[in-house]
Amino acid sequence: MGGLSFDWVGVLSGDPLKWLELGVLTTLYVTLAGSLLATLIAVLLLGLRISQERIVQWPAVAVIEIFRNTPLLVQILFWYFAGFGLLPAGWRAWINDDHSWAMLPGGVGLLTPEFLAATWGLGIFSGVFIAEEIRAGLMAVSPGQREAALSQGFGHWRCLAYILLPQALANSWQPVIGQYLNLMKLSSLATAIGLAEITYQVRQIESYNSHALEAFAVGTLLYLAIGTAMGQVLLRCGPRRGTMVRGGKRHGP
Amino acid sequence: MIEFRDVHKFYDKLHVIRGIDLSIARGEVVVICGPSGSGKSTLIRLVNQLEPLSRGDILVDGQSVASSRGRALRRLRSQIGFVFQQFNLYPHLTVEQNITLALRKVLGVVPEDATVRAVELLDRVGLADKRFAYPAQLSGGQQQRVAIARTLAMRPKILLFDEPTSALDPEMIGEVLAVMRELATSGITMVVVTHEMGFARELADRIVFIDQGVILENDKPVDFFLSPQHPRARQFLRQLLSPLHTAND
Repeated sequence: MGGLSFDWVGVLSGDPLKWLELGVLTTLYVTLAGSLLATLIAVLLLGLRISQERIVQWPAVAVIEIFRNTPLLVQILFWYFAGFGLLPAGWRAWINDDHSWAMLPGGVGLLTPEFLAATWGLGIFSGVFIAEEIRAGLMAVSPGQREAALSQGFGHWRCLAYILLPQALANSWQPVIGQYLNLMKLSSLATAIGLAEITYQVRQIESYNSHALEAFAVGTLLYLAIGTAMGQVLLRCGPRRGTMVRGGKRHGP
Repeated sequence: MIEFRDVHKFYDKLHVIRGIDLSIARGEVVVICGPSGSGKSTLIRLVNQLEPLSRGDILVDGQSVASSRGRALRRLRSQIGFVFQQFNLYPHLTVEQNITLALRKVLGVVPEDATVRAVELLDRVGLADKRFAYPAQLSGGQQQRVAIARTLAMRPKILLFDEPTSALDPEMIGEVLAVMRELATSGITMVVVTHEMGFARELADRIVFIDQGVILENDKPVDFFLSPQHPRARQFLRQLLSPLHTAND
């Protein structure tokens, strides 16, 4: 045989298989933790951004612009090498200690500088985008909705909570799903700070037994599988757009 | 019930309401009409502060609108029903939820009572069978009737209508006017901005004609239709009654 031959056993058995399993778990954990953090940050930033007080709007704008317009790789490297160093010495020592309670199933450490920096970096980067997607969805809600709510005696925040945000979320759900999927895929950048996720493990296999083609093929398929599953789940738990179409037509659920 | 005292409204330099004095008694049905851009919609939007006043004041049941803020303003608004030209139903909620939302979240009515009230009102506007439908599944006339039911659910002291039939196809105007007729005879205070002169003639206690932000006529319907004093009112009526034959007059 000529150039192209495959040896899947070299990737899907022994140590390489164990590494891949650990990689998948790490990717899943950092995606989950990052998504939760991104959601929290998005809610906070959105709240500040659409507040009626100028004085809280501009810090939110500053944060959004900084994290939206700089590369995520640089941000992750910054948090890992510079940000971590800025923490009080006591905290750093505590994080670097062994914590058996912070060990997730499968042997992934939650309280490690790599996991924390990756989660934080992914969370803030994606949170900023999600906040802006939802704000765009909010601006697409007709001004009459707010007027109707005000005329019934709703205040600013209740009007947002019950009338404007549900519609904004439905408007922006597709792009928001895209942001969560991006977060999962961008977690591969955390390989640069040594987080042992899928990409890191694939490269380790490659340097261990030179099965580059097989290793990267498996890695790619793993991302594909996780992404497809995640997209389906998010699509199902999102608001149903079908009932909200303006102009009389109603599309399927 | 509603008293306008030297009311002015500016949009930047544009002076759209120029010193309006008008008082509306409890139970009165007042129709406000006038050419497009005359300020009639702005005038009723000032009553519940959808637009802030630039000068003057409006008293609603003795309460100054200009100085109402925060909780007092929200309370005032919850007592003034407003029906919009574009219905503005909440598209993410069912018909029933559209009616009960503010009842529960603004007035604090318990869910069971709110539902009872919604069912009663849907029956009153002839849409009992649409309780679980979404607004997008209804015709324009049905949506406007739901919007009226939503407004009535709050048991308002005053109802304001901002061209409630102008966005409707002609064959749906009747069903909305029928609901409004029933309201007009029920004794509630109503201020209606409309071009429906049939409604005005039959049901209004008074017709206020506005042009360029000032009141030009303030009469009983008989007087307004039979002997309008102001030339602009006469021209307006001519255009409404025979739109094809006024261009060269």
